[in-house]
Amino acid sequence: MRRTLLGLLFLPCLVLAATSEDPLKSSMWDFHRQRLLGTEPVLFDERVLLEVPPFAEDARQVPIRVDASALAGQVVRMVAWAELNPIPHIFTFHPHSPQVRPMLAIRIRVEQATALRAAVLTRDGVWHVGSARIEAAGGGCTAPSVVRSEPGWEQRLGQVHGARFPRGEVSRLRLRVDHPMDNGLTAGIPEFFLNQAELRDASGKALATLELFPAVAENPTIGLEVGGQEATRLWLRDNNGNEFEANL
Amino acid sequence: MLRCLITLLVLCAAPLQAAELVYRLEPRQIAAGTWLLEGSTDNFSEQNGGDIVNVAFIETSAGVVLIDTGPSRRYGEALRQAIGKVSDKPLVRVLLTHHHPDHVLGNQAFSDVPIAALAGTRELLAEQGDAMAENMYRLVGDWMRGTEVVLPTETLEEGVLEIGDHRLRLLALGGHTGADLAIFDETTGVLFAGDLVFHERALTTPNSPGLDVWLNDLERLQALPWKLVVPGHGPVAGDAAPFAQMRDYLGWLDGLLRDSAARGAEMTEVIAAPIPERFARVSLSRYELTRTVTHLYPRYEREQLPRVDSPAP
Ligand SMILES: [Zn+2]
Repeated sequence: MRRTLLGLLFLPCLVLAATSEDPLKSSMWDFHRQRLLGTEPVLFDERVLLEVPPFAEDARQVPIRVDASALAGQVVRMVAWAELNPIPHIFTFHPHSPQVRPMLAIRIRVEQATALRAAVLTRDGVWHVGSARIEAAGGGCTAPSVVRSEPGWEQRLGQVHGARFPRGEVSRLRLRVDHPMDNGLTAGIPEFFLNQAELRDASGKALATLELFPAVAENPTIGLEVGGQEATRLWLRDNNGNEFEANL
Repeated sequence: MLRCLITLLVLCAAPLQAAELVYRLEPRQIAAGTWLLEGSTDNFSEQNGGDIVNVAFIETSAGVVLIDTGPSRRYGEALRQAIGKVSDKPLVRVLLTHHHPDHVLGNQAFSDVPIAALAGTRELLAEQGDAMAENMYRLVGDWMRGTEVVLPTETLEEGVLEIGDHRLRLLALGGHTGADLAIFDETTGVLFAGDLVFHERALTTPNSPGLDVWLNDLERLQALPWKLVVPGHGPVAGDAAPFAQMRDYLGWLDGLLRDSAARGAEMTEVIAAPIPERFARVSLSRYELTRTVTHLYPRYEREQLPRVDSPAP
């Protein structure tokens, strides 16, 4: 019934599929907007799909997927955050090549029930924002590390498991990187996390770069989409300067 | 705004509800000397106090054998009273089917009776019991007041357990939690399947070692010469309907997870997958799919993602 109500309320905006008013009416919106998006104009836009489960079954591994395919060809940057997380920022994604689709899937930690946002900057200098809400019992950001409790994790650090899945005109690249992604919120363990990734073509040219933040879950699982079948190489670096590479 | 309204309604209703946290437990006889307390097929809520589970007891010539103790201390106490209304024999043994909170958190009311379970069940309860109880407080609230984990005092193994005039065949299985006890009463032909069988209620997977293990367990159970099957959740049946539904559902889940991983689907996409029309009767299937994908999809993904890292050339 709530959905119907909301649907009715937003009916006038559906024509434009965008509005300047926060559909979630969150008091945290302005704070994060200023910090992460700057002064460019903002539109809440249904064309930015932010897919999240209705509740976090495991607050340490919550899947989200941002899909701005409807804005393909115009996307400069994509930013995602969880409003009520102690570390809200999840990622900033820069697709440099038109071959890279504006889609990113990743697993994150949530500390409590929160609004999630995905903002997509288009060439005309406008941010298009998709929103979602997730219920959570919480504690995902402060839970003890699972990776560090597994023997031999140091040896596996930086191992990448991945594959390329053809899906019509695009290939989906899916990968999982072994890394504890320590966020500095667990006693005695300083921040230690993958903070940079780059997808490169065979000649080494950057197709896309991805900045990661420790709202990303342990052993990050990431999904991307690229046009064509050409082999790509993924480069990763953590905040301690360890570098890892993989063929995808 | 609607949320505020709901909050208001809840606030108004709260004092009324607090006044009567009473489990209305009425044992129903399902076979000779065998009674069932049937829970609802809903999720845990502040309305039902976690009474979503099937608990049963058997009156033997040597005394009463209880199978599972329910979701809370308060439930356990109500259960003990309900048993006393049906039988004046002493309680001689509690058998726990597995360590999940809705089946064992009534243990406190039976702490003077030997409480028996598989070794694995004891281990899992010792390890996860407090966290599960905490979660139950969050889900059903005040009904849980005073509830604490009580560990089993006896260890069961696969084999035959004779109590008075009843011969109970114990099966040590594991598809639901890794340590799942099924009890086949050879004397009456009643099979107490525990949570290896959910009937018209979506199955839950937080501790499942794998859907293949579960399917094998079902095969063993179905092959027994039972006349009546008591699922852990949902209505009892005199025919194989619960088995057919379980196999169908597990097969669908397994296929969905496998195909999705092979197509490179993201977890959010699998969570949103359509649920076949034939499971429309299965309560909470959408909710449990979200949970199951979280629990099990990473294993299916792993099979599709070979190691691809290689040092810089
Ligand atoms: Zn169970």
